[in-house]
Amino acid sequence: MKPLRLGSIATWIILGLFTLWTVVPIALVVLNSFKRAKDIFTTSPQLWFTPTLVNYVNALTKANFGLYYCNSIVVAVVSTAVVIGIGTFAAYALTSFRLIAANTVANGFFLGKLVPVISMLLPLFVIINSLGLRGTLAGPIIAHVALNLPFVVWLMMGFLRDVPPELQQAAMIDGCTRMQTFWKVLVPVILPGIAAASVLAMQYSWNELLFSLQLTTLDTYTVPVGIAGFVGSISVDWGLSSAAATAAMIPPILLGFFVQKYIASGTIGGSVKG
Amino acid sequence: MGIMTITAAPSSAFQTPKVRAIHRDQRLAILLLLPAAMTIFLVMIVPLGFALYASLFDYSLGQENNMSFVFLDNYLRFFADPVAFRSLINTVVFTLLSLSLGLSLGLGIAVLLKRINPATANVLRAIFAMPLLISPIIVGLVWRYIYDPTYGLAYYLLRFVGLQNFGGLTSSATALLCIVVADVWHTTPFIILVASAGLTMIPDELYEAARIDGASSFHMLFRITIPLLAKVLTVLILVRGTDAFRIFDLVYGLTGGGPANATTSLSVFAYKQAFENNKMGFAMATSVITLVCLVVLFGPFMRNSARKGKEI
Repeated sequence: MKPLRLGSIATWIILGLFTLWTVVPIALVVLNSFKRAKDIFTTSPQLWFTPTLVNYVNALTKANFGLYYCNSIVVAVVSTAVVIGIGTFAAYALTSFRLIAANTVANGFFLGKLVPVISMLLPLFVIINSLGLRGTLAGPIIAHVALNLPFVVWLMMGFLRDVPPELQQAAMIDGCTRMQTFWKVLVPVILPGIAAASVLAMQYSWNELLFSLQLTTLDTYTVPVGIAGFVGSISVDWGLSSAAATAAMIPPILLGFFVQKYIASGTIGGSVKG
Repeated sequence: MGIMTITAAPSSAFQTPKVRAIHRDQRLAILLLLPAAMTIFLVMIVPLGFALYASLFDYSLGQENNMSFVFLDNYLRFFADPVAFRSLINTVVFTLLSLSLGLSLGLGIAVLLKRINPATANVLRAIFAMPLLISPIIVGLVWRYIYDPTYGLAYYLLRFVGLQNFGGLTSSATALLCIVVADVWHTTPFIILVASAGLTMIPDELYEAARIDGASSFHMLFRITIPLLAKVLTVLILVRGTDAFRIFDLVYGLTGGGPANATTSLSVFAYKQAFENNKMGFAMATSVITLVCLVVLFGPFMRNSARKGKEI
């Protein structure tokens, strides 16, 4: 019995250390966001300090983060709605119909994961510019839909393959059309999967920097672009940027708590079930 | 019986209702595919074609009407340019380190989580998932603070083991490694989640049988867990590897490619050529080279994961 107990103590120690490793960096930012400069710039970590909201006030008033926040919400919500819509339709077409070359098309979608972002960014930059859409939110929205699409199709195919085919057959025998079967039978069953894919797509859009950086102007900055403005410079306003960062990371983390287990099963489902 | 004979006769001049239904089905399927396929085509394939074309020219941004044809000159320049070559090496090293560290750590934690009671494991998994959902630019911010030579936690902790002069982000010997550590912090959660889900699909009976046969946990890991997770590992290598090879945000946030280009990745290099040096053709050639590397490195895994299999 003894080696077993020793093993389980080791397990708990490792898991405890990993919890610290995960939580401490996040806690550092959250704590810094409530600190005054004199409490941030200390050589040993300061756990006791008088909390202040001054950084949050500054982020809203001086750095215009309210506007960036609104822009980010619009970009994330619109691009997620579009990508989940067209991605789920595509996944339905690829899994439930006996489409010729369905496998080839599915692989073609996943090839999107291989395209280097720069080779997409520069032509898109030119196209968006010539359409007069630079400085509108259309640029990041279009980019985020395309960037999310391969993984969303992959995830949704995984979830759809998990649905027993008998369910669809029964609905069609009862006289449902293909689209009625989709809406009334499939969508309710894969709803957790849709939720998980939505959260993943939304967090990606919410967090994405490169395309937002190049396709927006001062009025249409998203939160990551705003934060990059501090980080890129030589001296960083830690209090202000920590407040912005804390406000930016809370929504995806909260949403993620609810769907993390579906994210994993969908990722595997896309590959394992043939 | 009569209907069966009709449908079975392909030479029939008239389309039977069933055949017509199949055609209608195919049309609907294509209609459903169209928006997604168009998006991929217009936003990924067309730009890629443009990138291939533009990589043969020398021009600057906004000067698309004034491009001078240089044929393969941009590609030759890439391999003659020491910084470009350095960025290729950096990207390969970064991808290998981040992938191997992340996979072993993530797989290890997933295996350990299976050994404790499920309720606690679920809570821990939810906590461990947090970094995954944070923006790379914020990850960059957090870790820049940790690596700050004066106030940083990394220096504070390393002082206890006498390593306070390890260099961090300011030394070209350690900067890339520091970025790998930050990236592992950010991406291991995804590996834990997916590996955990994969582990639940391995039947417990296999472990019990092995235990009865006297197998050590080391043996069980390499003889049962890893072989049965092969499919899952393939997906992880594919998803994580392609992302790592295209790393941009984290480098941009932590070092901007410095010191002395020690952390410049291919994406950062292409970005700088395009938006700082205004060498569009060169930037395009760099991204085409990146694409070729991605296909060479990850194409085999893709073929592997696309192959239908029911091993689990």
